[in-house]
Amino acid sequence: MYELIIIGGGPAGVAAGVYAARKKINTLFLTKDFGGQSLVSAGIKNWIGVKDISGFELAKNLEGHLRDQEDIEIKDNVFVSKIEKQGEVISVFTDKGDKFETKTILLTAGSRHKRLNVPGEDKYDGKGVFYCSTCDAPLMKNKTTAVVGGGNSGFEAAMDLLPYANKIYILEYTEECKADSVTCDKVRASGKSQEITMAEVKEIFGDEFVKGIRYQNRKTGEMKELSVEGVFVEIGFQPNSESVKDLIDLDKYGRIIIDQKTQKTSSEGIWAAGDVTDVLYNQNNIAAGDAIKAVLNIYDYLKIK
Amino acid sequence: MVTVYTTSVCPYCHMAKEYLEKNDIKFKEVNVEEDEAAAREMIQKSHQMGVPVLDINNTIIVGFDKAGIDKALGL
Repeated sequence: MYELIIIGGGPAGVAAGVYAARKKINTLFLTKDFGGQSLVSAGIKNWIGVKDISGFELAKNLEGHLRDQEDIEIKDNVFVSKIEKQGEVISVFTDKGDKFETKTILLTAGSRHKRLNVPGEDKYDGKGVFYCSTCDAPLMKNKTTAVVGGGNSGFEAAMDLLPYANKIYILEYTEECKADSVTCDKVRASGKSQEITMAEVKEIFGDEFVKGIRYQNRKTGEMKELSVEGVFVEIGFQPNSESVKDLIDLDKYGRIIIDQKTQKTSSEGIWAAGDVTDVLYNQNNIAAGDAIKAVLNIYDYLKIK
Repeated sequence: MVTVYTTSVCPYCHMAKEYLEKNDIKFKEVNVEEDEAAAREMIQKSHQMGVPVLDINNTIIVGFDKAGIDKALGL
């Protein structure tokens, strides 16, 4: 039986792994891959200590730092499907059919892209509907595009599109776009973008590929259409908390409710950190710090057990 | 023959290439960002526009799908 199983290979999980190894906690590290959501960022300029780094490089660095630790067992390419608890033994089940037992768990499984759930979204996935602007923006050379979502990720997608697309509509559900002003200013200065607020996307349509998007003005109720060949969906993130939904308290968005001081969840023996939790700010640096907090608390907990 | 269709900064393209390298698989990389004819070829083969696309002896794999790659290569 392990003392600790860490689930998730983003900045939170890796920070926790490094600390757990150095504390010589008998740890198993399970993840699908490394890097977390930032993997798809073209450039991260606020990872402290590094002026500018691509998401891919950050992922490499994180994985390298973790693998450099002697006292940790790592299994990647693994997806945790379920977590169960019986008395003081917690069992972790994977998609490979494995079962691992542990005294404690730190869940740093992060979150994933939210989908629009409108007609056409599935049908045109990859055929004009995209979720990775860093990857797929170059295919939009001289095309008219739409970004759904006027938050930071929406404007970052617009930034990725700037060198390629000739027009970028940004559709925002609320009354105003809420991205950081640095990014907004750059996108707006390009003259290529047009923001449409109070817009609720109703349908993505086309033939073999996307031809357009249909949305409703939430103020007037009026239905409108835009001719676009690419739709980049950036409407936020959904926490990867399904594996513990029957075990611990989640908020209405499915995020794990944690004690902000210790990162404890509502269930003894289970801690969580990063974007899978109800943390107020979703940041790499914060996720890493919170996960370290969790490991130190787990270390104290294991000592008195 | 293995062809990987990529764009420059796409992390999953890097991951796919590294995975092939790790398994000693020789491949040709085609950057569809620079080569529009290749972009059309990729879309024609995969019926979609997302990258990466892998053509492994005429088996088309969309995205960095390890299981799919393993199967196509018999790894």
